[in-house]
Amino acid sequence: MPRVQREANVTWEGNVARGDGTITAASGAFEKLPYSLASRIERPEGKTSPEELLAAAHAGCYAMSLAGELAGRSSAPEHLDVRAVVTLDQVADGSHRIVASEIHARARVTGVTEGELQEAAEAADKGCPLSALIEASAQVTVKATLEGGSNGD
Amino acid sequence: MATDRRAEVKWRGDLMSGTGRIDSVTSGAFGGLDVSWPARSDEPNGLTSPEELIAAAHATCFSMALSNGLAQDGHAPEQLDTSATVTFQPGEGITKIALEVVGRVPGMENGAFQEAAEKAKENCPVSKALAGVPEISLAARLEG
Repeated sequence: MPRVQREANVTWEGNVARGDGTITAASGAFEKLPYSLASRIERPEGKTSPEELLAAAHAGCYAMSLAGELAGRSSAPEHLDVRAVVTLDQVADGSHRIVASEIHARARVTGVTEGELQEAAEAADKGCPLSALIEASAQVTVKATLEGGSNGD
Repeated sequence: MATDRRAEVKWRGDLMSGTGRIDSVTSGAFGGLDVSWPARSDEPNGLTSPEELIAAAHATCFSMALSNGLAQDGHAPEQLDTSATVTFQPGEGITKIALEVVGRVPGMENGAFQEAAEKAKENCPVSKALAGVPEISLAARLEG
């Protein structure tokens, strides 16, 4: 398969404490999303942040990976709900680090046992390139539940 | 203090012909963004993708780190224009991220700007999280 390139552009004005910026996707899918330092480490107040964009990337990447794994093993999922929560924290040296990304997937898929779902969920984590990258320096946890199953929620 | 940011994605069907949507995020700044495998691995046709969102995350993180570094050196920027380009090789992973920044920074010398940009590339939290990407390149220049 050919290489794929995706680009985003940011304009930032001013210093970090008082300045703010906007982000635009080259695909045109979103433009001029606002962000600022205050909205990054305090209340978001309608503005996005690098960690939120990474959470969206991780949830999207994982959802596609899990859809592929389930379809390859049994049947295509009728529906997947995937949530990613990315945590930014201050570490011992005072700098900020992304310390965790927590994935929770709920699957509605026919003919899949609980055990098969767990296998697919683990394989999806290995198959999603962003999971592997984040795992090198932060904790990635994956929880998968069958909708309508014994532990469904 | 730890900060959490959440994103919710819905997906229907298999990988190749199914469709997904980035439904909502903590801040509410965006939502309802459609995604699909063909749009991710071929022409985007107006749809975003995990790689484009990674590009957005990295460009925003880098810009904030650079503005902070410049301000600490006594040269708060008037404006920074940053782009991040993520290269994805299906079956292999993310092989490269190219950062480019153009800065309007009164009184700044090029050498010091290069140094500050390099430091921001090394230290911003998204760079740290994506340190496993085989190549992260940087091109920085001052305007005017």
